[in-house]
Amino acid sequence: MAGKYGVPTDPDYPKRLAEFEARIARGEKIEPGDWMPEEYRRQLIRMISQHAHSEVVGMLPEGAWITRAPTLKRKMILIAKVQDEAGHGQYLYHAAETLGITREAMLEALLSGKAKYSSIFNYPTLTWADIGTIGWLVDGAAIKNQTMLAQCSYGPYSRAMVRICAEETFHHKQGKEMVLLYAKGSPKQRQMAQDAINRWWWPALMMMGPHDQDSPHTPLLMRWGIKTKTNDQVRQEFINEHAPEILEAGLSIPDPQLRYDPQSGNWLHGPIHWDEFWQVVNGNGPMNKERLAARRKAHQEGAWVREALEAYAAKQQKAAVAV
Amino acid sequence: MDTQWPRWEVFKQDTPSKPHQAVGSVHAADPEHALLTARHVFARRPQAVSLWVVPAEAVFSVTKEQLEAGTVPFPETPPTTKPTLYYVFRKTSHKRSMTFVDYVGEVSAAGPAEALKEAQSRFTDAEALAWWLVPALQVVKSDPSREAIESWFEPAKDKTYKQQQYYATVGSHVSKHKGAKR
Amino acid sequence: MKPEVKEALIAKLTALADDEVILAQRNSEWVGHAPILEEDIALANLTQDELGHAQIWYGLRQALDGADPDRLVFFREASEFRNAELLELPRGDWAFTMLRQFLFDLYESLWLEAAQRSLYPPLAQAAGKILREERFHLQHSRAWVERLGLGTEESHRRLQEALDFQWGYAQQLFVPIPGEALLVAEGLLPDLETVKARWLEYATQRLQQSGLKLPINPGYQPADRSHHTEHLWSLLAEMQSTARWDPQAQVW
Repeated sequence: MAGKYGVPTDPDYPKRLAEFEARIARGEKIEPGDWMPEEYRRQLIRMISQHAHSEVVGMLPEGAWITRAPTLKRKMILIAKVQDEAGHGQYLYHAAETLGITREAMLEALLSGKAKYSSIFNYPTLTWADIGTIGWLVDGAAIKNQTMLAQCSYGPYSRAMVRICAEETFHHKQGKEMVLLYAKGSPKQRQMAQDAINRWWWPALMMMGPHDQDSPHTPLLMRWGIKTKTNDQVRQEFINEHAPEILEAGLSIPDPQLRYDPQSGNWLHGPIHWDEFWQVVNGNGPMNKERLAARRKAHQEGAWVREALEAYAAKQQKAAVAV
Repeated sequence: MDTQWPRWEVFKQDTPSKPHQAVGSVHAADPEHALLTARHVFARRPQAVSLWVVPAEAVFSVTKEQLEAGTVPFPETPPTTKPTLYYVFRKTSHKRSMTFVDYVGEVSAAGPAEALKEAQSRFTDAEALAWWLVPALQVVKSDPSREAIESWFEPAKDKTYKQQQYYATVGSHVSKHKGAKR
Repeated sequence: MKPEVKEALIAKLTALADDEVILAQRNSEWVGHAPILEEDIALANLTQDELGHAQIWYGLRQALDGADPDRLVFFREASEFRNAELLELPRGDWAFTMLRQFLFDLYESLWLEAAQRSLYPPLAQAAGKILREERFHLQHSRAWVERLGLGTEESHRRLQEALDFQWGYAQQLFVPIPGEALLVAEGLLPDLETVKARWLEYATQRLQQSGLKLPINPGYQPADRSHHTEHLWSLLAEMQSTARWDPQAQVW
């Protein structure tokens, strides 16, 4: 990118910025190559790469249960789902790459521990019911966010999100199907489902990020059409959909203060334990070290494979030139 | 050193009557590997009948905004260059979509700048928001034979367990529970 | 169908299905741990396809004797499985996994091609359906064998080691099961000897083009599919752990 591109010291910056914001206001998509403020690019790279890392690390907690799925059908569904997570990571890295960062640089940031990813994946998957619950609650929360991001002003991110939302709906539905089945199943299945809801409810609510007053990036992200809703708005949508459904299934929600407010039409929740959230974000969750270690191991053990294909490609090219 | 292999842009055709569309990219080591990988990544659900892959650096892209601002980054073509074939892709809508530019046809030109001019005069049925020009020689295509299509693309249709429609009746609608008590 | 034909056919369908399930179990261990993101996706495709094939074969058995596929997969003992030993070996490194995939994909493609001519229509149809996907699998694993064989010294060494290890095991794929001769005589199944001749020719050619040497001493060659390696018990213990965890569960 040119040196002064999108930087406020550029004499044309105010005029360019006004044109850029007018484009967003008209509902136009910003495409690679278009002028954009450097801060817009920076925020997008931050968000998209974190999102991509989350998908890639997100393969691990569920992937661990592929070999233990209880029926052939559940095994195929789970493999397809974890595969989609790899695919979503793949689409998102592509979207970030259009902003001029390489996948290599993003991966390096993840593996070195510098990059953040969704803290939800630093919780362990203790039982098979966690697989259903992750689909229903964690993916349910993710879809709320992703549906919003599908409206995003940056073309490549928006397109990745449209594709991801279409696939993610399957994740949500298969998870919900499982939990509803186990809620009406054997005593051990019921207990397992309830235990999973108890453990995943609060982490799922934390997925939308801090309350609006503690989310410094939000106003700018909304002004530039990267986000179209605040964290608290998305969180409220999630609760309004899922709380009544969980209760209807005969399961309970681990929030004694949760109640329906007829005036606002919202389900109001009790206080969220943000200190736990920040502990996990800052590397002290139950699985932070294991997740990163697993990604590093795969990367290191795959090094000779990647080198082999590069060597093969180089030899083929040389042979082609010689002919 | 980059450990992620080169990037290849991927174009997918959903049905024989639709154009190839830019769907994303894959990292792969060589042309055949890129095509196999594109099949794994972009055709794991229906629909597809054909895939093209192109080394990312072979794509010349330009947006409407760049054209208006006069900041098009095309390389200059020496005057003696012989014309070659370029595939032309175009984006025409800001609407929510999974795909970016669609294939509209081919032009013969000495370089990308000339190919763009040619494309602008030829494909005038809709306003172009973005153009992609790809040297035809760099495009690697999936096998168009009936047998290959059956092998690469048709089995995805039977994998209904990963299609969300398959789960349509799960649970009951939210609105029913608005008044539920804990 | 004569009772002895039916019995033999049930046994063959079980062996075909068990091969797919056990290979899928091993391949699925890679998902999330592959050398590059795109290959996580690729392995997940192969695994889903293999499980789909297993469902087809178990389904054909179910039509004959009513056996529930999930009961067969999740509640049989190791000694009751009829998969080839090659497929239960631990996944090893990427070269081991890709070579096994190539040897098996090639066997399967050639067998299916011949099995399309079975006089038992459900089997002939199933073979045609599965063959579609196998053609792509074979393209994929053949491409990998070529690249690893001709890539770096290290990739070549690892692939050659995998070949030295697996070659003897792979021969078991061509050992008929008890009763198979009857099914061949009745025109229900292809003759394994013929399939093997084609497999040997193609495999030898491809492996040599990829810079590999066929082992002079093929090593251990299992024959009887009721025998297994020491790995199958643990593989099943893991695979069946959830299904067996709650005897009262009616549905998963």
